[in-house]
Amino acid sequence: MLTAENLHKAYRRQAVRVPVLNGLDLEVKTGEFLSIVGASGSGKSTLLHLLGTLDAPDSGRIFLDGKRIDNLPNRDRDALRNRVFGYIFQFYHLLPELTTLDNVLMPAYIGHSVLGWMKSRSKLRARAMELLTKVGMGHRIKHRPRELSGGELQRAAVARALLMNPRVLLADEPTGNLDAATGDEIVRLLRDLNRDDGVTIVMVTHNLDIVTATDRVVRMVGGVVTDDTMAKKPSFHSPLLAAV
Amino acid sequence: MYKLLLCVRYLQTRYLAFICIVSVMLGVATLIVVNAVMSGFSTKLKDRLHGVLSDIIIDTDRMDGFDIPDANGKSLTPDQIIQKIKDSPAGPKIAAITPTIEVFAILQFTFRGQMLTKPVRLIGIDPEGRASVGGFSEYLVRQNGSKSPSFELTPEALKQHEHNRGERSKISALEVPNVPMPKALVPDPNAIPEPDIEAMTKDMPKAKLHGVIPGFTLAHFRYRNAEGVVVEEAALKPGDDVTIFTVGGAQGEGMRMRPVWGSFLVTDYLKTEMSEYDQSFVYVPLEQLQQLRTMEGRCTAFQIKLKNYEQDKVAVADALRDIFDPRTGSRVATWEEHQGSLLAAIEVEKSILNLLLFMIVGVAGFSILAIFTMIVSEKYRDIGILKSLGASNHGVMSIFVGYGLLLGTVGCVAGTVLGLWITDNINGIEMFLTKVTGKAVFPRDVYYFKDIPTNIETISVVMVNVGAVGIATLFSLLPAWRAARLHPVRALRFE
Repeated sequence: MLTAENLHKAYRRQAVRVPVLNGLDLEVKTGEFLSIVGASGSGKSTLLHLLGTLDAPDSGRIFLDGKRIDNLPNRDRDALRNRVFGYIFQFYHLLPELTTLDNVLMPAYIGHSVLGWMKSRSKLRARAMELLTKVGMGHRIKHRPRELSGGELQRAAVARALLMNPRVLLADEPTGNLDAATGDEIVRLLRDLNRDDGVTIVMVTHNLDIVTATDRVVRMVGGVVTDDTMAKKPSFHSPLLAAV
Repeated sequence: MYKLLLCVRYLQTRYLAFICIVSVMLGVATLIVVNAVMSGFSTKLKDRLHGVLSDIIIDTDRMDGFDIPDANGKSLTPDQIIQKIKDSPAGPKIAAITPTIEVFAILQFTFRGQMLTKPVRLIGIDPEGRASVGGFSEYLVRQNGSKSPSFELTPEALKQHEHNRGERSKISALEVPNVPMPKALVPDPNAIPEPDIEAMTKDMPKAKLHGVIPGFTLAHFRYRNAEGVVVEEAALKPGDDVTIFTVGGAQGEGMRMRPVWGSFLVTDYLKTEMSEYDQSFVYVPLEQLQQLRTMEGRCTAFQIKLKNYEQDKVAVADALRDIFDPRTGSRVATWEEHQGSLLAAIEVEKSILNLLLFMIVGVAGFSILAIFTMIVSEKYRDIGILKSLGASNHGVMSIFVGYGLLLGTVGCVAGTVLGLWITDNINGIEMFLTKVTGKAVFPRDVYYFKDIPTNIETISVVMVNVGAVGIATLFSLLPAWRAARLHPVRALRFE
């Protein structure tokens, strides 16, 4: 479904070129729950940004259902981020001025003109309410982000990522800022979404406990994939995870 | 949709933005108030400039007046010239016309034993005719608004005149002792008997008293008393006599200018509240001035009132120029052309003031630029979030440009309300400020106005608002452009 071929990406820090991805290849299958692990600086988040068209590779290609997406014009890339990809971030990234409901509705606000919004307003609000109830936030719709706990913020962020029925959910360390119990709740939520709704999920994480919930674990070292294991229940003592 | 939502939410939650709103509001309010006051002054000044001038003025440089020959080469009289004007294409558009003589002169009068002289503009008029062309009787103090004003003396003025005569006799008596001639002890039968003055003058016509209407300021002294209050004291009361010196209307070849003078009694005052007129204009009867200047049957100017000034001014002026040839020293001008330089000066002053004051809104624009730059910096992460959710560069830019537009609009609405309120209550505010500071903010004796004149022009209010909203939007463009160009990944990582 989502394929990365020979991806290269480097950043410049004060005139010094810092390579992050060095010819990375990856394939994400439809309906798969993939976790990417690796040390800090191994290029996990960069890969996620490239896959979700938030950034462009220096070289290499990215395909979605066989169609190249890394070189699309901005307008099409914006549309992909709005309708095909859903993002979940470590720091939740909800807009502080808006209520929980408005934050969840934000992708719909972006994807609709004023007239279009007026037409589908009730349908979209109902969808947002349904998602908020599903993630256990139905009672917090009028609260602002500053009034919510970390777990609640991340659940609201999951609801927002799901609003436009994305085909791929890209989660960048979704439990990185949560305690273990809350992190488990979020991962369980993602697992259920993947299993019940068939949403493809690519999750970057440091937390080795949660990768047990995923279908496949990919390990990155030095900007390339070094291990790609179909591991339903990987052990902490497995060679793959021991190296993380 | 999200642009509108975020614009409104940012406006509701970013208190920093209220500084922008206040800046725009103060700029707009100041411009509206200043424009209204300037326009008020300008309108009032125009009214006053037009005040004593009729719609169309025809005058000549010739000291002996117009010389328009008829078919036989004989000069036309003022009545004949008026008839000629009425018979011209301009005639049907004219409501009234009157001849006048305008000449420089010196006014002399006695005040507290001192002989005072003032240079004046002497105008000979037929009072009823002058009133018919407007700008005369409405400015008279005693005969205010009268349709048939005159130079007649009131009984009070006559009484004052008699009083003055009596006072002068006393002074003369003191100066030249009236010692009776010693009588001869034996009557001389050949001596000439003393004349019986009363019997001699019994049947003689009494000297005619001629009235004069001087400008109010010319006839009054204005000063501050010990308490600092402005006091106006009449230097010339009705019934007081003045002597006017001017030059004779030289007629014919080889005639030279010669001084002429006459005595007149004050009958009324002209009070236009226009200092130029009030301190130099002196009206006397036309017939008397013609006699004094030996130019009977002639005049130096015509004052014309039109039925519809705005519509006919150009056509009438053009038609009159055919009768009054500029090559013979005659001039035909509308009142606006007559006061052209002064009116142009007012307009220039207004434009420059507007330009300078618009810089206030420019300053508000820079505060918007600074504050927006801060807001965009604060919102780096939000911009990244929006882009990750599919917002376009153009959409992000629209949020901030729309925000600037909204701030400008709110500031303009608030500024317009404040400006109109201040304009409406400007005299009350002025009195309050005068009371608080102890210094007159608007010295009425300088401007001759009772109140600060204001005139709100809708077009001016609209222009100020459009300009201010435009500036607010313009200055939000640069921060908005920066926000739009922000890389989403860098924005998300911003701390």
